[in-house]
Amino acid sequence: MRPDDGYRLLVQGVRDYAIFMLDPDGHIATWNVGAELIKGYREEEILGRHFSALYPPEDVAAGKPARELEQAVRDGRVEDEGWRLRKDGTRFWANVVITALYDEAGELRGFGKVTRDVTGRRAAEEALRESEERFRLLVQGVLEYGIFMLDPDGRVVSWNDGAERIKGYREEEILGQHCSVFYPPEDVAAGMPTKALERAVRDGRVESEGWRLRKDGTRFWANVVITALFDDNGRLRGFGKVTRDLTERRAAEQALSERRRLLSHLVEAQELERRRIAWDVHDDSIQAMVAVGMRLQLLAGRLPAEHHEVMGQLEESVRASVGRLRGLVANLRPTTIDQHGLIPSLAGYLQDVVAGWGLETSLSADLPNEPPMPVAITLFRICQEALTNVHKHAGATRVDVTLAGKDGGTLVRVTDDGVGFAHPTPDDPYRHFGLLEMRERAEIAGGWWSVASTPGSGTTVQFWLPTAPTQEQP
Amino acid sequence: MIEQLRVLVADDDPMLRMALSEVIEAEAGLHVVATAADAEEAADLAERHTPDVAVIDVRMPRGGGTHATREIRTRSPRTQLLAFSAYDDSGAAEELKRLGVREFLVKGITNAEIVAAVRRAGEAGDV
Repeated sequence: MRPDDGYRLLVQGVRDYAIFMLDPDGHIATWNVGAELIKGYREEEILGRHFSALYPPEDVAAGKPARELEQAVRDGRVEDEGWRLRKDGTRFWANVVITALYDEAGELRGFGKVTRDVTGRRAAEEALRESEERFRLLVQGVLEYGIFMLDPDGRVVSWNDGAERIKGYREEEILGQHCSVFYPPEDVAAGMPTKALERAVRDGRVESEGWRLRKDGTRFWANVVITALFDDNGRLRGFGKVTRDLTERRAAEQALSERRRLLSHLVEAQELERRRIAWDVHDDSIQAMVAVGMRLQLLAGRLPAEHHEVMGQLEESVRASVGRLRGLVANLRPTTIDQHGLIPSLAGYLQDVVAGWGLETSLSADLPNEPPMPVAITLFRICQEALTNVHKHAGATRVDVTLAGKDGGTLVRVTDDGVGFAHPTPDDPYRHFGLLEMRERAEIAGGWWSVASTPGSGTTVQFWLPTAPTQEQP
Repeated sequence: MIEQLRVLVADDDPMLRMALSEVIEAEAGLHVVATAADAEEAADLAERHTPDVAVIDVRMPRGGGTHATREIRTRSPRTQLLAFSAYDDSGAAEELKRLGVREFLVKGITNAEIVAAVRRAGEAGDV
């Protein structure tokens, strides 16, 4: 086999490329299997025809085939991508290389033409381009986030609508500027912009919160994520930067913290007022009643026997009044939470006061942490009110109290086995006020309160208070 | 003739002070020699009258029952001490006991119980 035969066989057999020759005028002189597969013509159908038969009519009309041959003659070769025709009239996207072929004498002998069908690749590229375009539009259109790119030196190379909205720069104003323009002067002086980029390179990404500057010099509280972008070779190509304006959230957080501060003041004021009333009742009303009782006893001793019964009843009334006033003082008295903590104080109250009403009690507590003081006091006072209600209205024999940590707060249940009631707000005005007071206390503390009851099967008071963080976010 | 028990009454509440005095005064063999409205006055009067028994309110101005007790112990050593306390003064009880208070009378007990306690204290002083 001669070497020429080997080449011919090779060319003939290649299936993925159409490889054929044109004579100097552009007529098709050879044809291979690949050409037949790609273009649909058999060899005998196409040999001798001008190669413009392979071009769409509009290209032919524009003189493209002849131009490509001229260019090949001039430059030695020409490469082109474009639509070509199959025999059946359908089109495919072709990568075409035309090479001018000369003999040893330098005479043009014709052209070699290699054509590949890259329709599939083109479709993939198109899909990628469209996907990138859609993604670009998405990024571009997002208003809630400033999303932009920096080059490896930290200069802005892309900008979106969100960035414009948040920072106030238009794209043409900011492109090419260094990202340090977004930082307050004190941060720039501290080298923060550079440090942030360095950390992003080292760790891949860096997230931070802090004040940033708008174009007009005003500040906003920003959450910033900087991601270092590396290419396949591990070379730093730049940074992606996503900025959110958290000024409103921060304001909301501050409002919340202000609310907690108010709660704390309110609870403190309530406790002070209760203490004052407790002392007043203790030092004044009870003493007076005790003195009255003693004088009544003296008087009774001096009266004839027929008055003894009435005097006895009077003394009994006085004694009962003193007892009730002492109960009131006990309820109003400052809690021992600051000394012993919430659970021991509740346990003490159940044991000293509630058990004294003839109720069996149980307390189960599963709290991960001691709630902060105002919350603990509010929890205690609501329990106290609920227990007082059980004592006064439920006709119960036992009451169970459970406390559990839940949803970043404390969930409390006070369950009795008493008579229950039909309506969530019964007609008894005192009871109604008691329920209202509990609910108000819970809601002021940012929580909720509910009562569930069925006549004959007891009542459950349930409430939840959030555990306010003791420390503010930096 | 039976010697009378001489009693000092100290309470900052005037109504209670008067009622307590009357209750004691109404009893044969008991005599109120002085009444005081605060801890300092109680100590001064105890020193002056050296009563057999002093009934001391636990919570009083100018030092409270503890101060009065401590002063009376030194200035009138043979005076027997009773604390007249409110329902919830139990916190002070330990210290007062340590200072030598014989008994605690919770405000609201019957006159008969008060009188009995004063007599018990008086007898103890005689021994």
